[in-house]
Amino acid sequence: MIGSLKSRLDQFLGRGQAAVTVPSLDGALKPNNRLDEALAGIKGEAPDNLVLWNGQVLWSEGAQIFSGPEKTLFAQMQSDVTALAAIKDGNLVVALSEGGLQMLDGTGQQVKTLAGSEISCVTALEFIAPEKLVIAIGSTENSINEWARDLLEQRSSGQLLMLDLVSGQSNVIAQNLAYPSGLLQTPFGALIVSEAWTSRIVKIDIGSGEKTPVMEDLPAYPGRICRSKDAGYWICMFAPRSPLIEFVLREPVYRKEMMAEVDPEFWIAPALRSGYSFHEPMQGGALKQMGILKPWAPTRSYGLVIEVDERFVPVRSFHSRAGGKRHGITSALPQNDLLWVTSKGGQETFSINLGTDVIDGGNV
Amino acid sequence: MANLFELKNVTKKFHGVPALSNVNFDLRSGEVHSLLGENGAGKSTLTKILAGVHEATDGEVLFEGEHCRFSNPAEALRNGIAMVFQETSLVPSLTVAQNIYLGNEKFLNRLRGIYIAAQQFLQSLNFPVDPTMYVSQLGAAQKQMVEIARAVHHNARVIIFDEPTATLTPEEKHHFFALVKRLKQSGVSIVFISHALEEALSISDRITILRDGQHVITDDASAFDRDKIISAMVGRSLSDELYGHAGDTRKARPYGRKVLSAQNLSMGSIVRNNSLSIYEGQITGIFGLIGSGRTETAKIISGVVKRDFFHGGEVRFNDKPVRYRVPRKAVRDGIVYVTEDRKLEGFFETKSIAENIYTGLLGADLNKSMTVSYSEMMTLADEWTKKLNVKAIDSSAKVIELSGGNQQKVVIAKALVQKPKLIIFDEPTRGVDVGAIAELHQVINELADSGMAVVVISSYLPEILNLADRILVSRQGRVVEEFSMEDATEEKIMYAAVH
Repeated sequence: MIGSLKSRLDQFLGRGQAAVTVPSLDGALKPNNRLDEALAGIKGEAPDNLVLWNGQVLWSEGAQIFSGPEKTLFAQMQSDVTALAAIKDGNLVVALSEGGLQMLDGTGQQVKTLAGSEISCVTALEFIAPEKLVIAIGSTENSINEWARDLLEQRSSGQLLMLDLVSGQSNVIAQNLAYPSGLLQTPFGALIVSEAWTSRIVKIDIGSGEKTPVMEDLPAYPGRICRSKDAGYWICMFAPRSPLIEFVLREPVYRKEMMAEVDPEFWIAPALRSGYSFHEPMQGGALKQMGILKPWAPTRSYGLVIEVDERFVPVRSFHSRAGGKRHGITSALPQNDLLWVTSKGGQETFSINLGTDVIDGGNV
Repeated sequence: MANLFELKNVTKKFHGVPALSNVNFDLRSGEVHSLLGENGAGKSTLTKILAGVHEATDGEVLFEGEHCRFSNPAEALRNGIAMVFQETSLVPSLTVAQNIYLGNEKFLNRLRGIYIAAQQFLQSLNFPVDPTMYVSQLGAAQKQMVEIARAVHHNARVIIFDEPTATLTPEEKHHFFALVKRLKQSGVSIVFISHALEEALSISDRITILRDGQHVITDDASAFDRDKIISAMVGRSLSDELYGHAGDTRKARPYGRKVLSAQNLSMGSIVRNNSLSIYEGQITGIFGLIGSGRTETAKIISGVVKRDFFHGGEVRFNDKPVRYRVPRKAVRDGIVYVTEDRKLEGFFETKSIAENIYTGLLGADLNKSMTVSYSEMMTLADEWTKKLNVKAIDSSAKVIELSGGNQQKVVIAKALVQKPKLIIFDEPTRGVDVGAIAELHQVINELADSGMAVVVISSYLPEILNLADRILVSRQGRVVEEFSMEDATEEKIMYAAVH
């Protein structure tokens, strides 16, 4: 009762949950153009998930999996690939958009079906033991291509499942997650999960499923996570938060009407890419002048990868700002001195040379 | 030029303790004479003798070649000697115009006429102050402008400026120096006290340096440079130690955990949609001109003032939204604000050092006993006066009797006993001498090294450049630019602050 009254009062006064504020990109998150400045990469159709497999980098693009700088086709799947995980024995686990998990061998041939269509909307996979696979299911209500709808409907139906590859049994580690979109096991055994719609990173105990936030109130929606060279982590942010979207998220009637009447690509919602149609919703300041979009303009899409240390304190970040092209970063993978990055919005897989970047006060 | 004022072997003692010993000083007609020295050197005492605030204990004071002894400032003012005090002497409950005309009122006063005349007069001085505003509503810089305007308005032949530029922005300083030149050309003699040595060097005809109440040197300004002044003031060179090349080898502290995130803060037209983050283990410098909203943002964060009632934005401290109505709650959470106006908001001037420091502890509810404990108070005072090297006879000395630097140390001690997690220093070295500045800088650096989140708001660019690990520039009520220590230059920062 009191909570409800407070919520009403907050809505009236523009406070608390209704404050529609977004944290600023400053400190180690100070905007730069490092993603756009990186050398030209490999063009593709919505590259998504990177994985290091037998010493080489593989990535998914639609229903295909590619490898190497020559973009060699490694495997062709029946539907879009949503997540990849390499097994130490040389096999590869692939999650598909139509549901199900497949295991591929070293030649890219399917050797086993690990799960059927009952497992869908898989956003990330992580092996915590050779036979134990943790699966992040973004939403049990919406498909993976409807992630914007999932946000606008304010769902918290994500799950973490643990699948035993030997017995085929699965059990739920955690549920009611607000779109878990990234997953990694820490050296101490716990799982680190990106809970996108609450803009936070949580630590989840595998045994009890207990959640502990380690990073909160992030300025963008966190996605996949991978280890960095220095005992820290790389966190991909696939879309930015903005005051306009935060405002819309607090207006259920408007959202419902918008989702019913407007094409999904023109919703006031975060996107992996933007600025390609004049029908897109636009905030004041996002107007192109002389054909140029100002880098600080309000935007629905953005490119951001953050390196954090082992305490989850941001160390440095790479950006593609409003005026840039490499938006919608869905996956990052360090290999030697390179950081491989997929820009799903920019439709490119490219690398940043970390060897030439000096970490100094958060600036590169 | 003839000597207008002359002090011969003047000694001034307070309770038997000499503040000035056998000091000689002369002021010529139409000259700008800078009086320099560390806090406690006796500059203010000397000028107060000139202005009739104090009487010399011993020695001769000659005005136009004749012995004089002004019994009060009003008498000195009637003789054409005006003083612009370091601590403003304005009446807060009167308007700006009324303050300017205070003492010059006619039998019947038409308020509107006073306002119009004051408006024209302030405009002629290039001071952007509304004459109808109450002085209590003005900021420190604007009060200083009114104080200067009042002195000029009295058509004084001698004007003594005690730290007139400490609260002024670079642009306002520019106007002030132009005013000084105009006054000089019209034959007014000016005594100028400042801790900004470059200012003294640029506008003075002659410079006198005092140290420990004694005269050290008087010479033409052209005979001095910065190092010579500093070594005469403190007996050693502090130039490099303070704002020299230490920055070249200094390395920025890495980012710690985000302690505070201010998001879209708004307060009237002063703070407008301001967002910033503060990290622990780092010094975040905030630079901006007066009126850029930096102090007000700090005051909102620490609960001194309230943000807008409707859509005032959000402050998250340690990832939790907070909204303080009074500073006490902020202090209990670990946010402490060290004010820019220490005399008004920083300490109780009639209370002792020990009592002032203890009030800090009481404010944070950290006192051990249920009642006020004298022994706890004295132990605390001894501990902190030693830690911060507060120079006083003992902890029972009244704060008002201390020099500016030592007063500031007491204010900082009062803040530090509250065990803050985030401490905001607003103009920490304003009105503080060079020796004490070095000590205060060391204290601030040690706090950041110990892992505390430290914010330093300063109008003095070399200070920001020397202290801060990251620099935020505020303009028109919001942070408009961020510089890392390596990127920052005076030009870049000033450009961001102005354009």
